[in-house]
Amino acid sequence: MTTLQPEDGITRGDLIRRLALMEEMIAEGRRYTGYNSWIFVLWGVVDLVAMSWQYYFPHFGGRWAWPICLTAGAILSFAGKMLQRRNQGYSKNDECGRVMSVWGMMGLAMGIYIAAAMVTNFDWQYSYMAAILMMIGMAHAISAMILRWRVQGLAAAVYWAGAVGILIFNSRGATTAIWLFEMGIVMIVFGLYARKVEPKGSRIKGELA
Amino acid sequence: MTNLEPDNEITRADLVQRVALMESMIAEGRKSTVRFGWIFVLWGLIDIGGIAWEYRWPSFRWVWPIVMVAGFAIQYAIFAVRRRTSRPVYTNSVQSRSIAAVWSMMGLTALLFVAAAIVENGTGQIAFVSAILMFVGMAHATSALILRWPAQAAVAVLWWAGGIATYFLSWEYFLSIFVGEMFFGMIAFGLYAMWLDRRQEQDGRASAHA
Repeated sequence: MTTLQPEDGITRGDLIRRLALMEEMIAEGRRYTGYNSWIFVLWGVVDLVAMSWQYYFPHFGGRWAWPICLTAGAILSFAGKMLQRRNQGYSKNDECGRVMSVWGMMGLAMGIYIAAAMVTNFDWQYSYMAAILMMIGMAHAISAMILRWRVQGLAAAVYWAGAVGILIFNSRGATTAIWLFEMGIVMIVFGLYARKVEPKGSRIKGELA
Repeated sequence: MTNLEPDNEITRADLVQRVALMESMIAEGRKSTVRFGWIFVLWGLIDIGGIAWEYRWPSFRWVWPIVMVAGFAIQYAIFAVRRRTSRPVYTNSVQSRSIAAVWSMMGLTALLFVAAAIVENGTGQIAFVSAILMFVGMAHATSALILRWPAQAAVAVLWWAGGIATYFLSWEYFLSIFVGEMFFGMIAFGLYAMWLDRRQEQDGRASAHA
């Protein structure tokens, strides 16, 4: 079907306007992810610092490296969001709200999961490490589907592959290497990439003119 | 604020219209969730069946792969039957597509995680069991937040509580936690959703006749 005929009182112009609105909402959602991309970079750095601390200074409070770094990361994220809200207003549409729900609930689920594992000293298990990567992959995948964003879908696949790798290789060396790659490199690279997402006009908008 | 004054050329009528639109979108999203309530019941029963099978024949390694494949086959068959009936299976609103994204990606995540753990015999770790409960809780919580649905949020809390409990309680309690989650978090919620679906259908018929 190449031509859209008026049907039920809906004209071709109406349909194009609706499509343009939907495209704009999706683009707005992506921009919103880009606007918050500093959080990915922050958490990538936080994870790298915690890993380095534990590896290079194991006798200098190495046991507390993760609890301290994770708490610091959470405080910095919260402070950053507060600052962002105060400095410039950013209008959020429904798409942004849904993406925010996904990441917010991932953060809450992961916070509960990590805290419970740390308190009970089960954070050495490979399943624990794999589950964290799975949760991040799941949030990326849901967000990618909502925003129809292939690059984010790729990020999800990379996280899932890392989690599967941890379970399959089942060794400390492989787990450390995968963790370093996923939490350090993939997190930071995706954050920097998302930052570069510039406001792009709707492809359909031209037809409205 | 009781009175909404025109601001930036947005009138009170515009705002009321927008709120009504948002409310109808949320209602549409909930409607599509309750329409799929049977999936919760199905997977609750399938998982309880898998647990019972494993309990009876603990040495048989293929329990969960068989149970999972059977679950997907039954789900697919029910979808096919429902597609043939006059009632539409999918509603294609923005909200319902988001909810579909949440649940399909949760399913894929859990499938990959379980499959990889089964291959390497890693299903015996506490962190593995807890993670499964956390994944389902995360999907319920995200869906509840999108649909602004307190009942589903309560179910999410139930799943997360189960995830925490597996860390703190010994293996003897694992069976009770898992069966409890499946019964209350899956079957009971699914039945509640199916009841809502039926009620909405009856309301729809009544208003059509009026």
